[in-house]
Amino acid sequence: MTQGDTDLITESDQRLDIPWEVVLWNDPVSLISLVVRVLRGLFSYDLAKAERLTMQVHNEGKSIVWSGDKEQAAAYCVALHGYALSATIQQSQ
Amino acid sequence: MSEPFRRVPEGISIDLPDPLRTWLAEQARAAATDAVQMEHPVHRRLLGPIDPSQDHDDPVTELQRQFGVEGSLGVLIETAHESLLSEEQAEEWIRALQLILAATAARLAITDEETLSRLSEENAEIVTTLQAGISLMIDALDA
Repeated sequence: MTQGDTDLITESDQRLDIPWEVVLWNDPVSLISLVVRVLRGLFSYDLAKAERLTMQVHNEGKSIVWSGDKEQAAAYCVALHGYALSATIQQSQ
Repeated sequence: MSEPFRRVPEGISIDLPDPLRTWLAEQARAAATDAVQMEHPVHRRLLGPIDPSQDHDDPVTELQRQFGVEGSLGVLIETAHESLLSEEQAEEWIRALQLILAATAARLAITDEETLSRLSEENAEIVTTLQAGISLMIDALDA
């Protein structure tokens, strides 16, 4: 194995360790009460946390509502889309 | 009219005028049709990729999402004229009403508060009717 290979694997491994985030985006028609309910149901967040994240989406345009492994982030994102909420996944910066 | 959606021991009762039920079913069919047209704004809104760095979701996720949209809208279409829904069907109604609302917003190019405030009276009424339906169904389910 060359030094270059070692660098490549190390870089790749670090990349795998970086968590993925579920980003919930504001949309002008979805009700705040609906978003709070979905966040509570999907992530089992308490009311205060669900409301805080929802108001962050409403006021700042987006919020990172969950982070962790890619597969679970994608599953959560799909579930949010099931309620027609605008959500995407991204790897943490 | 009494409460449109009400919790009863058997599930959620629905009391809506027939024309409104028919309209909801039509809206659900339209959303389902538009959602599978690749270049349609409704498709981009309801089934755009979850990872914006990719052009498409992986095929499994793509199918899963398409089935989800069709399933929720299908439940509303099939039960639009029922007087009683199960808990699961009522939850599907919330999803379907949200999908119809998002499809409507995509067709009307509602992207922010400003475009929302500039809607015609007729289109604004469609949005508020759907929002009211979602809110009332949430109240009934969570009662």
